[in-house]
Amino acid sequence: METEVKDQLVSIEKPELVAPPNWEPVIMGILCNWCSYAGSDLTGTSRIQYPPNIRIIRVPCSSRVDPWFLIKSLQTTADGVLVSGCHPGDCHYISGNYFARRRFLVTKKLLNFVGFHENRIQFSWVSAAEGPKFAKVVNKVTEDIKKLGPLHLYKKENFDKK
Amino acid sequence: MARVGVFVCFCGANIADYVDVPQVVEEVKRIKEVKYAVEYKYMCSDPGQGLIRDAIVQNKLTSIVVAACSPRMHEKTFRKALSDAGMNPYLLEVANIREHSSWVHQKDKKAATEKAMDLCRMAVAKSIANEQLHEISVPVTKRALVIGGGIAGIQAALDIADARIPVVLVEKSPSIGGKMAQLDETFPTLDCAQCILTPKMVDVASHPYIELIPYAEVLELQGFVGNYKVKIKKKASYVNFKTCTGCGACWQKCPVKVPNEYNMGIDKRKAIYTPFPQAVPNKPVIDAEHCTMLTKGKCGICKKVCLPGAIDYEMQDEIIEREVGAVVVATGYDMWDPTPYEEYGVGRFKDIITSLEFERMVSANGPTNGVPQRPSDGKVPKNVVFIKCVGSRDEAKGIEYCSKICCMYTTKHTILLHHKVHDSHAYVFYMDIRAAGKGYEEFVKKAQVDTGTTYLRGRVSKIYKKGDKLMVRGEDAQIGQVVEVEADLVVLATAVSAPKDNPELARLLGISYDKYGYLSEAHPKLRPVETAKAGIFLAGCTQAPKDIPETVSQASACAAKVCGLFAGDTMKKDPMVSTINNEYCSGCQNCVKVCPYGAIVTDEVPIGHGSKELRTVAKINEGVCQGCGSCVAICRSMAINLAGFTDPQIINEIVSI
Amino acid sequence: MNYTKQIQDIAAKLFAEGKIDVFVGYRLNGFDDNHVPVLITDPQDVSKLVFTDKSVFNLVNYLKTDHTRRKRVGLVVKGCDSRSLNLMLTENQVKRENLYVVGICCEGVVDDAGQKMQNCAECVVPDAVVSDELLGTPSGQKPYTVNVDIAALAAKPLTERTAYFEEVFENCIRCNACRHSCPLCYCAKCCIDQETATLYNGANTTSAAFHALMTWSLHLAGRCVDCRNCEKACPSHLPLHLLHKQNESVIYENFQEHLAGVIPEDRGAFYKYSLKDPDDFIM
Repeated sequence: METEVKDQLVSIEKPELVAPPNWEPVIMGILCNWCSYAGSDLTGTSRIQYPPNIRIIRVPCSSRVDPWFLIKSLQTTADGVLVSGCHPGDCHYISGNYFARRRFLVTKKLLNFVGFHENRIQFSWVSAAEGPKFAKVVNKVTEDIKKLGPLHLYKKENFDKK
Repeated sequence: MARVGVFVCFCGANIADYVDVPQVVEEVKRIKEVKYAVEYKYMCSDPGQGLIRDAIVQNKLTSIVVAACSPRMHEKTFRKALSDAGMNPYLLEVANIREHSSWVHQKDKKAATEKAMDLCRMAVAKSIANEQLHEISVPVTKRALVIGGGIAGIQAALDIADARIPVVLVEKSPSIGGKMAQLDETFPTLDCAQCILTPKMVDVASHPYIELIPYAEVLELQGFVGNYKVKIKKKASYVNFKTCTGCGACWQKCPVKVPNEYNMGIDKRKAIYTPFPQAVPNKPVIDAEHCTMLTKGKCGICKKVCLPGAIDYEMQDEIIEREVGAVVVATGYDMWDPTPYEEYGVGRFKDIITSLEFERMVSANGPTNGVPQRPSDGKVPKNVVFIKCVGSRDEAKGIEYCSKICCMYTTKHTILLHHKVHDSHAYVFYMDIRAAGKGYEEFVKKAQVDTGTTYLRGRVSKIYKKGDKLMVRGEDAQIGQVVEVEADLVVLATAVSAPKDNPELARLLGISYDKYGYLSEAHPKLRPVETAKAGIFLAGCTQAPKDIPETVSQASACAAKVCGLFAGDTMKKDPMVSTINNEYCSGCQNCVKVCPYGAIVTDEVPIGHGSKELRTVAKINEGVCQGCGSCVAICRSMAINLAGFTDPQIINEIVSI
Repeated sequence: MNYTKQIQDIAAKLFAEGKIDVFVGYRLNGFDDNHVPVLITDPQDVSKLVFTDKSVFNLVNYLKTDHTRRKRVGLVVKGCDSRSLNLMLTENQVKRENLYVVGICCEGVVDDAGQKMQNCAECVVPDAVVSDELLGTPSGQKPYTVNVDIAALAAKPLTERTAYFEEVFENCIRCNACRHSCPLCYCAKCCIDQETATLYNGANTTSAAFHALMTWSLHLAGRCVDCRNCEKACPSHLPLHLLHKQNESVIYENFQEHLAGVIPEDRGAFYKYSLKDPDDFIM
């Protein structure tokens, strides 16, 4: 019996919580329209396969991403978030990703500080030409988050049940 | 209560093979706001769009979700279908179940179907928060800026001006004409470049709709499509063009000699000079770097001999500001510097020259009066070796791409050599002969026969000196042997490279450039003339190497784009811009700091209803706003929202699955 | 540190010269030797003013009220308070010409138990950076040190941090006292109270508290001056400084040693950027 329990996937933040069988993480992917969303489209047109856990939201620019979206995602539906924008210097809106980068770092560190595993909040720069890179990023993020187990923190329904 | 219609596309087999479309439709029907859901083979087809139009009318739908390909593909198509049914087009949301599901999860139909369902749920949730939006009209300044006065810039400027749209043409050097003015004859017809170019240059100078600003650079570009403000630095020429008659007394008397850029440094010009006899404007400028009056305060001869008194040593750089609606960038190209080819002895052997140097030598108005000469001893060369792909198609030492024009101009050079030195013999080392173009292959074939040039397929491995000759050792791949050719002169067909100032210019204009420094077009096939920034267009080699006919075509295409942009008095603009709720704005103005376009200004509003006291709030200039959403994300009081990507819309998406 | 006499004199002089309508300072709370803020409008009351190391609260918070808004105000600020005042000025919330600022070169204040406050022990800018009149001897800027609690928590395993903060958020009663006590929370309508934010949040749940406090601390990231008004105001005694100091340390380390409000006209860290900002955390 003990070995079975060990094999089961547990939430990294709360090891007492065990993942249900066949658990699959939900990853919220917030992509900027001009680089990363176009890059993800290219992944599709190139038929590069990646895990189906990511749910993609289109925003005009990574600078549109309020840290609040990340908090909200983790608090409601997602087990992890990926925000992706244009490479530094390539922002369609000149400087958007530079402002975004500052907020991302602080948000990631803060969420990690209050008890979220750092791999639950990930960022990437994917250009419109980097279809393969997008698939690679999604592969990595999915793999990382699968290892972390389900996110139970601050999900409203958990408290409702309590 | 929202009434959402969902339309799921098979995309033939593209979606249907990997996503269980009927199941998606069934699942979507369970969402309480969804009042209508249907699948169809091709939603983007006319019957597919008809389905949407009919459903809107029959079911009184309040928003529409189309689950199909990427919104970057067909969002506009479906928006139009909504408009046609009398619905606000911005009530549409597209769920991308092709690029984001069926094409990337081809091995797991169950997972792909589930993901497609989630994507539909997200789109439905977002669409519920969608608002009616209306296109914005922005006034347009009907004046174009053309940067660069080579053949591309000249052609674009003339075409735009001929449509009676004022043009500001900015040229870096003292005269327009560019690289084409340095050419002798042009392939494949062997027209004299000067003969076909100089009339156009004169047209530019005399055109009532063209303002020519030579010897100037663009310093700053602000604003947005239709409403740009440009700052141009007109370098001090130290010659008052208004009074100067162009008589030439000044440069004849000037004692300072400087290598002549126009002739690739083969001969000398003066410190006060016109770049070449046919220059437009045909007024001299003083080269401040070399003029002894300006550097050391000694000389002043030109001022003494200038009868109209046009010389002004006190002249300062001048900043000119213009309002323009569109920009054509035509900054041309640089010749690649062959120094990395050490094995050729570049720099060590005087009798190795570049193709543009050869071009100047064989040019009738060139430094050697049209007869090629060896730089070492001035003798007329008999055996001339041309080496192609110097820098081009060479990842190790040069650049990966093919420079496109070298095959043709080298062929032209063999002809010109044959014309000028009848008893000469040309050898061409080549990798391939790329002669795609109207009349190009015929031109190469004819030249090979007429000139008797020896073509050797292979790369040159070494050049060394033997007496006063150069020995060129290379491989002839067709016979599989090493060959050595004794040459009087070696001409390197150096690559075309991007102007070294391009990255800086791109930053200044806010457009992108590739790894070589060429400016990037918006789409390599379908939008080769536009940049990603609306209202900025590309002509000529600044985008990629190309020959004169192609350059002229692209320049004319730019002109057509500019004229199209200026066709109406106002320009329609996407309504997806930021809006401010004054009630919530506390006037901290942090949004002003993060706006990359300066689209946010401050405004004063009464502190309460009917109050005379005012408080500061932010105000968005919707004509300037490009809809990035930077301000929205940093607004702590959520007073700003971005139409089309509002907080409720995105939060709805996040919480819907 | 006792500037009671000087501050009384200054306030009396300002009233006498008709330069101010209201003076914001401290008075004794009436039952022990701790101080509470006081808004003085009657020149006869200036004798109530005190200032010692018990003058803890950041008075800049009172510039948000209707008693001071659009009035000429005399104000006492310590080092940290002056930084928040700097931000209020930069962010266009108060007009400098309406203020007469008495700056203090602060030697640190004490808590109810008489212990030196933690933020004072770690204070970087003890001298007021905005003032019309500076009391005390400036001691200059001190080196930045990472908050001891942050360092201790960061060293703990993730699961312990998770459990710790879950309890913190669980204890929050969502009274919003932290927000009301913060001088930089001046928004006309706080985002937390807006429909979009409360949507899907539930009312008084741990989840809602997590959401509210995280959003709040991120809105103060790069702006918080560590005056700890919020912590003093919190009825549940939540360690709110942890969130702010965490953000502050990340910002200080990564964004060119940015410290909120030290330089006039310098906005929060999120309203500017550098090309050299860290990029290695992004794939």
